[in-house]
Amino acid sequence: MIHTVGVADMKISAQKGDLIITHALGSCLGIAVHDPVACVGGLLHVMLPLSTIDPEKAQRNPFMFVDTGFPELLIDCLETGALRQRLDVRVAGGANSRNREEDDFFQIGKRNLIVLRKLLWKNGLLLKSHDVGGNISRTMSLEIGTGKVTIKSGGQMKNL
Amino acid sequence: MALNILVVDDSSVMRAIIIKTLHLSQLPLGEIHQAANGQEALKVLDGSWIDLALVDINMPVMDGEEMINRLRQNPATEDLPIIIVSTEGSESRKEVLMQKGARFVHKPFTPETLRDAILRILGGLDEQKAGDGTLQGGYPNF
Repeated sequence: MIHTVGVADMKISAQKGDLIITHALGSCLGIAVHDPVACVGGLLHVMLPLSTIDPEKAQRNPFMFVDTGFPELLIDCLETGALRQRLDVRVAGGANSRNREEDDFFQIGKRNLIVLRKLLWKNGLLLKSHDVGGNISRTMSLEIGTGKVTIKSGGQMKNL
Repeated sequence: MALNILVVDDSSVMRAIIIKTLHLSQLPLGEIHQAANGQEALKVLDGSWIDLALVDINMPVMDGEEMINRLRQNPATEDLPIIIVSTEGSESRKEVLMQKGARFVHKPFTPETLRDAILRILGGLDEQKAGDGTLQGGYPNF
């Protein structure tokens, strides 16, 4: 079954035949977490770095912000049977909204990545791989059975 | 096989960051030794079996370059895998050290960069399979 993750959304699965996919990752982050032994995985599509700009909105939808969405992703995966020490974490997105990084006034993509970096360090996790930055849009998918993460961008597809 | 690793840096904070990264890298760790300069490191190496040394260059008492020179002159440590973790910017100085068999990780580094350098020097990460953990995209050091 194919599950589509919208913007500010998350899906978790423990079904080996499932594929979770999210589209249009610009400055947003797609964060994929997978336990290859338990075959549990999740994909999160977050928009903004910190929930402090609108805590009420973060309470209604934690998947809007990196600092509230990523902990939810970890907790839900662990509650579904994943083990923290087996988790593979991959990230894609975090692009500039302008052609040149210095023209991107708000630098949302970069700030999203910085907040994620802090959360990973705090939670004792390292990234398995990442495909971030630039000024492209990406589609990210996660196969629950294999843990394979694929990035599609500009008509090209690659494994992450 | 558990790896005994020596971390040589005059900053205790940097040593703590490197040691935390080692623990997160899921390496089979044995003993982790620390030294604040080259002279202390040589003493540790005299008394303990070390499989890998992570060495800063700019340190008081004895710097990393002098320490590596002494290691390479000693038959017991001439083949010791060494990763230099330093802010050193001089390409010529880096080249000299790399000719002595050391790898180089530039500060500031991401934990993944250090993990991959360790796996490469220990033969656990194929250079050709650069997809895993290697830096891609527009932010080389996010």
